[in-house]
Amino acid sequence: MKNVTTKMAILFAVVALIAAACSSSDDSGSDDGGFRVAVVAPSASNDLAFTQSIVDALNKLESDGVVSEVAVTDGTFVVDDAAVAIRDYASDGYDLVIAHGSQYGGPLQEIAPDFPETSFAWGTSADTFGLDNVYSYEAASDEGGRVMGIMAAALSQTNTVGIVGPIEVGDAKLYVDGFKAGVLVQNPSADVPVNYIDSFSDVALASEAASSLIGAGADVLSGTAQMVVGAVGVAKTDGVLWFGTQANQTSLAPEIVVASQVYHWEGILEEMVTNVKDGKLGGELYVINFANDGLVIEYNDGFDLPDDVRQLGDDAVARFKSEG
Amino acid sequence: MSEVFTVAVLVAVVASAIRLAVPLLLASLGETFGQRSGVLNLGVDGIMLLGAFTGYYAVLKTGNVWVGLLAGLVIGLFLGLASAVIAVTLKAEQGISGIGIYLFGLGMSDLLFQKLVGTPIPIDTFPQVDVPILSSIPYIGEMFFQHSMVIYLAFAAVPLAMFVINRTTFGMNIRAVGEYPEAADTLGVSVAGVRYATQLIGGSLAGGAGAVLAISLGIFQQNLTNGAGFIAIALVYFGAWRPMGVMAGALLFGFINALVLELKTLEIIPRDLSNLAAMAPAIITILVLAFAAGRFKAPAALTKPFTRGK
Amino acid sequence: MLEMKGITKRFPGVIANYRVDFDVYPGEVHTLLGENGAGKSTLMKVLYGLYPADEGTVLVDGAEVVLESPNDAIEHGIGMVHQHFMLVPTLTVAENVSLGLKSSRGFLTDLAAVSQKIDELSSQYGLDIDPSAYIWQLSVGERQRVEIIKALYRDARILILDEPTAVLTPQEVDQLFVTLRKLTDDGRGLIFISHKLHEVLALSTRITVLRLGEVTGQIPVEGATRESLATMMVGRSVKLKPDKLPSEPGEVELDISDLTVMGDRGLVAIDNLSLEVRRGEILGIAGVSGNGQRELAETIAGLRKAESGSITVGGVDVTGAHPKTVRKAGLAYVPEERMREGAIAGFNVWENLLLIDHGSKDFLRRGLFDFGAITDYAQGLVEAFDVRTPSIDTPCGSLSGGNIQKVIMARELSSSPTVLVASQPTRGVDIGAAEYIHRRLIDKRNVLTDAEFIQAKLIEHRNACTAILMISEDLDEVFGLADRIAVLYEGRIMDIVDPDTATREQVGLLMAGVEPETN
Repeated sequence: MKNVTTKMAILFAVVALIAAACSSSDDSGSDDGGFRVAVVAPSASNDLAFTQSIVDALNKLESDGVVSEVAVTDGTFVVDDAAVAIRDYASDGYDLVIAHGSQYGGPLQEIAPDFPETSFAWGTSADTFGLDNVYSYEAASDEGGRVMGIMAAALSQTNTVGIVGPIEVGDAKLYVDGFKAGVLVQNPSADVPVNYIDSFSDVALASEAASSLIGAGADVLSGTAQMVVGAVGVAKTDGVLWFGTQANQTSLAPEIVVASQVYHWEGILEEMVTNVKDGKLGGELYVINFANDGLVIEYNDGFDLPDDVRQLGDDAVARFKSEG
Repeated sequence: MSEVFTVAVLVAVVASAIRLAVPLLLASLGETFGQRSGVLNLGVDGIMLLGAFTGYYAVLKTGNVWVGLLAGLVIGLFLGLASAVIAVTLKAEQGISGIGIYLFGLGMSDLLFQKLVGTPIPIDTFPQVDVPILSSIPYIGEMFFQHSMVIYLAFAAVPLAMFVINRTTFGMNIRAVGEYPEAADTLGVSVAGVRYATQLIGGSLAGGAGAVLAISLGIFQQNLTNGAGFIAIALVYFGAWRPMGVMAGALLFGFINALVLELKTLEIIPRDLSNLAAMAPAIITILVLAFAAGRFKAPAALTKPFTRGK
Repeated sequence: MLEMKGITKRFPGVIANYRVDFDVYPGEVHTLLGENGAGKSTLMKVLYGLYPADEGTVLVDGAEVVLESPNDAIEHGIGMVHQHFMLVPTLTVAENVSLGLKSSRGFLTDLAAVSQKIDELSSQYGLDIDPSAYIWQLSVGERQRVEIIKALYRDARILILDEPTAVLTPQEVDQLFVTLRKLTDDGRGLIFISHKLHEVLALSTRITVLRLGEVTGQIPVEGATRESLATMMVGRSVKLKPDKLPSEPGEVELDISDLTVMGDRGLVAIDNLSLEVRRGEILGIAGVSGNGQRELAETIAGLRKAESGSITVGGVDVTGAHPKTVRKAGLAYVPEERMREGAIAGFNVWENLLLIDHGSKDFLRRGLFDFGAITDYAQGLVEAFDVRTPSIDTPCGSLSGGNIQKVIMARELSSSPTVLVASQPTRGVDIGAAEYIHRRLIDKRNVLTDAEFIQAKLIEHRNACTAILMISEDLDEVFGLADRIAVLYEGRIMDIVDPDTATREQVGLLMAGVEPETN
């Protein structure tokens, strides 16, 4: 039996380490009457993409004093793990629990009714399940896609602009469709091959997808979701230009990143927090876009972008802003 | 799309297949040694992940890709030692203890990345080395002889592994211990010693495979391998526990993935069928496994701990 | 050349060897005799470095040696031919022989040199073997020769042979003995382990008998008789040949005609075989294992599919029927693998006794087990079959092989079967228990002569006796019990002979596939 005990001890030690590793949550746990927000997100907080965008926004709200505490559980690409974290935060009395991933809809729909006093937010999605304690939020990422697509078409010498996508759903599909439309607005005869690799996490496959697009003649690339870090590397090696989205990706390849569409969730999150404080716990959809300053195009200062192309981008953004 | 199947497309697919195959090939060769000696290590993916992070971090700090590869091999060696202690000395249930190693590697690599690096910073990748003369052969050169040095090394490891398994006393001991450890023991072969050795080989090759993956991509992120270690284990079965078979499996897997990608780029596969196409590698692997399963036998002592005199 | 002094080996709760002295002189065959569990294998495993001894010393050529692993034993010139061959089936003969040895080519294998030396040893001792053959391609007898070569290759001067004849045909045994005599002529010392008394008497120079871990006697072969040896082994006088009355065969109860069955590897295992077994007789199936015995028994029991042909039990066609249907037709089955198929090791005695009848209303009250009735029933069977168990709540896995077999026999015979198929009923069962099981088989055939079995229920519900098909590799058993002997070779019946007139040699030739002379 001693042998079994040893094995169990090892197993527990391993499990404990994993627990420590997976949830780098920094909740203080004390309820001092302030407003406490928790977020559960699929990838790393500093993924230079989807998860980082919400974590950055929440940190800004915290430093602005809008909320008193921000707890983060990241890396929960396993939906069941996320469900556990969401329920735990709700039980712990957080005022707003954010399920930051369209794949978390199912669990949230089950959990939210159990905590009618707690406000939940789910993104990116337009659906609140008809529950009055669930907000949903999404980004009009097609707007930034369109803006950058216009610039990409103007920069392409080969009239071919490639896009690496994850799975054809939600935010990614919105962005890819917008980007493709933008390219075709600027250059109706351009080729816009799109390669959905059907994975949010396969970095190696995303790299090969980028290689394949470059092989098909693309000299400007874009892509969305966290697995594109590999594709950016390929673009850099092959000297192909890159447009980023969800966060500023300039640091990945300062030589070739032209611009990035960056999500600023803090505006709509602040509105949500104000609503919750006033007792309205959900039932509404928020969309970030250029008009409400939720979307921003951040240019790479180190990249020598021709003025006329920059002008095309600025004009397109201005159009979105004026249309509201 | 006007151009459908040109030679250039095929060349690109093959080159891409080879790149995709290499991390799988290395990890799979290592696991082949382990399984031939009767130890199943399901923790390959975890070892690959820690090897990937360690390799990435070493390159980040030193700027030398070879230091990175070495770091991956070394960390893999330590994890192979840990696997051996658990599976051979403590005689743990191999189907479960390996999952523990996997989860440890998955969590630990991410934790270290968050604490030591944070925001992903690109690193140098392995430089391309064109093989003299051969690389200038039209098409063939581009497919096979314009890769990085690690890719040539990985394929050179295949005949080396065959030689070790089939022609050396160490290899004979591995085969004997994997089939009938009691018999090997009665002849004075150290069953535990052989199994430790194969776990060290398997661990370092898995760690090296992870480092090759990270350094080839020039980046690290959480769960970088995306389950490649588990594919590598499946490939050992696919390859019927033989290095050549394992290589064929890795190349086939890489080829199907690369082909599907290329067909998507060329928009030959209708968007609606793209999901289905993504499953093709898995489906074909299962089909081949099902077909091959009856024809080759696994090492008889696979997953069975050895106790003398039982 | 070898002395073991005062060897004591304890296992938790058991003393396997107690102050055993044993020695071997050059050129002799010193036999170690004893029932299963007497401690023979333990003593040899101590000698071969597989178990450490708790007390005692081992001397080789007068010098004390430490034997902590097989490597130590090999270094001191001790070799062992294991009962379960220690050969890797996927390696060649040469690879198996060279395993664990230093190669003359450093880290590369030196199979060519090894093969050459194997050829030399083969011709020297008449051990014909192809060094490049894979073990899985070899017959049992050939594998044994590889085991011997393995030991000789390592210059073994003392050779332990653990039950070497158990798996051989009589002709192969003769051939083995020729080889062994050549080895003793070379001055090697042999330790021969067996419980087949006639072989022991034929081969040995001296005989040491172990009982319950202690030496009960050491005698030269001159003057020893089968009866005296058996008495030393068991501790009381033993009847080696069971008494039995002449059989009075009745109607055919088990009828097999033109049966063809495939084995696990998809090859024909039973080839167009026809047999009938009548009530009141025991038909013994003799043969070397692997000639279709297992497939035949399994097919009759409904556990294996027949390709063609038919089987009837008690007049009911049960070809391809579910095992439950076959049992309903009156078949009882004592399988070859008693631990795997005959009993559930984790279940206790009464649960194993009830495995088949647990649905019977005799044992149920309002749908639940009636433990009073069950206890009475199980206790009765345990007594009737002399199952030596601390209680009926003891798990079967902790009983000896013989007692487990008695539990299985009790269960199977209690159902008043028309036909009983018993596979290897006494293999691995020690002689005391074997004797008992033999008696039971005969009692069952002549129900009326055994008072213990004259129970109202049996008499009322049966007016006929059981037809018994007994499959055994033990020729002593077949000759002692069977009324007719059918010899099975490669899935066919070579011939059916009368045990009272046939000789062992005649049956041995049939077992080796030699067609009977027609005159």
